[in-house]
Amino acid sequence: MEATAFNRLLSRRTLLGAAGAAGLLAALPGCGSSVGEQAATTAGGSIKIGLVIPQAGVYAPLGTDMKRAWDLFLERHNNKLGNYTVTTVTADEGETPQTGVPAVQKLLQSDRVDVLVGIVNSAVALGVKDMVVEAKKLLIVSNAGANDITGKARTPYIWRTSFTNSQVSAVMGKVLAGTAPAGVFAIAPDYAAGAEAIAGFTGTFQAGGGKVLGPAKPAFGKTQDYQPFLSQIQTSGAQATFCFFAGAEAVAFVKQYQQFGLSGKIPLYGSGFLTEGGVLTAQGDAALGVQTTLHYTSELDNPANKEFRSAYEGKYQAVPTVYAVQTWDAALVLDRALRKATALDGDTLSKALESVGSVQDSPRGPWTFEGQNPKQTFYLRKVEMKDGKPVNAVVRDMGVSGQPAT
Amino acid sequence: MIAVSILNGLAIGLLLFIVAVGLSLVFGMMDVLNLAHGALFLAGAYAAWFVAGENPTMAGFLAALGVAGLAGIVAGGGLSLLTEPLARRSHLDQALLTLGVALAVAELMALAFTKDVRAVNPPRGLDRAIDLFDSQYPVYRLAPIGIGLLLAAATHYVVERTPVGALIRATVDDRDMVAASGIDVRVVRVAVFAAGSALAMVAGVLGSPIYSARPGLDITILILALVVVVVGGLGSVRGVLLGALLIGQVESLGRALLSDLASFLLFGTLAVVLALRPHGLFRVAGGR
Amino acid sequence: MKYLTFAGSLAALAAAPFFLAPYATTTLTRILVFALLAVSLDLLVGITGLPSLGHAAYFGVGAYAAGWLATHGTSQALPQLGFAVAVGAVVAVAAGWVAVRSHGVFFLMLTLAIGEIIQQLAQSWTPVTGGSNGLYGIPATRIGDFVLTHIALLHWYATAVFAVGFTIVWCISASPLGATLRGIRDNEPRMRSLGYDPRRYKMMAFVIAGAVAGLAGGLLAAQQRLVTPADLGFTTSALALIAVVIGGAGRLWGACLGAALVVIVRDYLGPDLGGHGPLVLGLVFIAVVYALPRGFAGLRRRVAS
Repeated sequence: MEATAFNRLLSRRTLLGAAGAAGLLAALPGCGSSVGEQAATTAGGSIKIGLVIPQAGVYAPLGTDMKRAWDLFLERHNNKLGNYTVTTVTADEGETPQTGVPAVQKLLQSDRVDVLVGIVNSAVALGVKDMVVEAKKLLIVSNAGANDITGKARTPYIWRTSFTNSQVSAVMGKVLAGTAPAGVFAIAPDYAAGAEAIAGFTGTFQAGGGKVLGPAKPAFGKTQDYQPFLSQIQTSGAQATFCFFAGAEAVAFVKQYQQFGLSGKIPLYGSGFLTEGGVLTAQGDAALGVQTTLHYTSELDNPANKEFRSAYEGKYQAVPTVYAVQTWDAALVLDRALRKATALDGDTLSKALESVGSVQDSPRGPWTFEGQNPKQTFYLRKVEMKDGKPVNAVVRDMGVSGQPAT
Repeated sequence: MIAVSILNGLAIGLLLFIVAVGLSLVFGMMDVLNLAHGALFLAGAYAAWFVAGENPTMAGFLAALGVAGLAGIVAGGGLSLLTEPLARRSHLDQALLTLGVALAVAELMALAFTKDVRAVNPPRGLDRAIDLFDSQYPVYRLAPIGIGLLLAAATHYVVERTPVGALIRATVDDRDMVAASGIDVRVVRVAVFAAGSALAMVAGVLGSPIYSARPGLDITILILALVVVVVGGLGSVRGVLLGALLIGQVESLGRALLSDLASFLLFGTLAVVLALRPHGLFRVAGGR
Repeated sequence: MKYLTFAGSLAALAAAPFFLAPYATTTLTRILVFALLAVSLDLLVGITGLPSLGHAAYFGVGAYAAGWLATHGTSQALPQLGFAVAVGAVVAVAAGWVAVRSHGVFFLMLTLAIGEIIQQLAQSWTPVTGGSNGLYGIPATRIGDFVLTHIALLHWYATAVFAVGFTIVWCISASPLGATLRGIRDNEPRMRSLGYDPRRYKMMAFVIAGAVAGLAGGLLAAQQRLVTPADLGFTTSALALIAVVIGGAGRLWGACLGAALVVIVRDYLGPDLGGHGPLVLGLVFIAVVYALPRGFAGLRRRVAS
């Protein structure tokens, strides 16, 4: 076969040479030494923060909200936290610990950040605990909800500005306690967060004398069609349904709940993630009337939220979500802690966080750390139409709750 | 409850049939495992959202079906050309090429449509629920049943009763012999690829009110289609239909009856079928 | 000559911590773990001709076994690895008994099904496997009194275990058993007519591959100190298969290069790609499939000629 010019260009040798050169270039940052002491990279007066958010995969929309809130806070504070100038390094957590753990490792070992913020996937948050403790760096989890993170696996190096799965659903248990004598049907996907949500709900609901039917556990990430479970709910005789779903599963469940005619007959309740953010837009009419409990809604009527919301909408033309607020608050408490901190290592910052006390000016309302997790006000919300768009309107203030004992 | 589950299984099963029949024919004819098939379904679902919108009219929905069909033909032709140079290489190479294409296309779609879920409601007129066996069932889900049965009948007629069908069957049985008798197998290949891809995209439009367009749906549908095709036996329309009906029931009735084992049912079924019949339920005579 | 290359590569790997930055060394360690998995899969795919889409199951099972032992028993290296290999082999025996009756795409799908079932088991059997959160907080592996937390120590441990595993597969490949397996790959009916029982040999290959994958899993538990259902699943199996094909099926060192490429794109470049990792990976696959018909291994032949 004649070798045309193109073929010669594309010959194996050229490709091999090009690949080798590209590889060398990419490897340059890899030079150095892994043996011996690692020098610090930040000079006095500046701090390097690693933002770990999902940018690929099903949780990517949450990552977008988190980054937006983070950037907004820095923008409004002259890019300073405390008196330190901030350099943010963003790393993609991906969808599973297979990508999440290397992302955190890279931030710690390669970028040598001082503080880590973010993380959506609970398995990642739990999996990097040893790494963070051994490196003696502070991690502020601004989403992952596994109870153990600030429970059984608690360490002074990991703080959280979000929630625990049981904390959110326990409030709904209080809401429904004493109602629905024929029973409430519980359904959540078959994974840790779902199990913790149902446990939290069951705890407070049964304490108030209620009866839980089910629970049903559709395969996590593998269920698109909920008809078998919806039939189960109908034949159970339940007077209400409590559920925990997030992301695409929330969209599918709520839509099918309405399509199969249950939404008129058996009221649907859930943890707030069911109707939070982009999923509410996708659910459309199907979500109207659904009630959820959460520690934030964009409709909150306090001065901090009004200011936060107008700034957020002004910059991004989007309504803020709980995922944004949690990361905003992470920046907020870090700002407070850094004002008092004399050094940037995990031990000093952890003590500084302990002395932050009560946070009064957060968009979610006042809250304080309890066991390194927020003890905060929860709201009963209901999806209603406002200006032609569905929103989570506040029905009731459910008072303050912390993480339930596990 | 059982009756509704069986009906639902029929609906899901026939929708899977529409998706899987193209995959089966391409594999049966060309020995190419087209792993981009799921991405085509997802593209169809996004097309439904893009062309018909979130609350489509019947006209908009039909337009989306047409657009998907045409786009599928083009995409199928393109895939056929892409895999042509690899015709003499191992099946693994071809499959992995299509996997690379699937990944790239899925990413491009995520860039275009963002990673949020794009839900589509059933078209006006079909968005009610009817009372059925003491509960309610969405009317729209009956559509795949009707269309799927029509398609099954049409495919059966074309494949069994027409000269084109004879050509297809001959190519599945012995490609080289067909080539030796003077027919340009490449044309047949492009045509089957195009038809199969068009069916996948149309299935995506049909499935969008049930599944919603979102990142990750391509892998989910691909795996379901692969299971259907393998369970039924490759290259046989009858096999795909039976496989699809079986998997549809497993996913509906199976989950309703054995809810504790719901997560294991799909692959458990595949494992059991292949352990008992290593070539699927319907082995194509003289096939591989 | 081959032995020189092998020894030279090992020496380079051992010296790596002295001239590579910490994260690069960690990535190299991760490459070694994945490469051992790819090599074990190559024994199945490239040498025996059995394309498996569920091989990560034995990898993950070995990792869970090692992690469980470290958490509840001893974190000494040898028992950990031994347990991982044993569990990997046992599960491979059970799976192989069902699977080796099939051929081609049916074998592919059956191994996928078995892999998915095992993954679902890992996700549901919470008391033992930790459920969807996985086994986290696995204690660091120890050799005698040495605790392997330092990046360099962990890397040398991985290099040693990788060398052992690679050597085992290499020896099999170069032995009469390897020749038999290749014969079965190329022309099974002929081998049968010569008096070999293909099923017995395929089973042997399957179990050995599963055992070596289990060994790689034991290494994963030590390196990552976290095992989750994702490590067992379709994505890991598919990436391992891709690594083998990119490298050139049948050439063990090619599988290592393929593994290196996959891990570098996903773990070294991935966090910086702003979510476009899968796109880059997909484009790399397309490019390699077109440009390198016999994978990286084919390059050596070309360049030499």
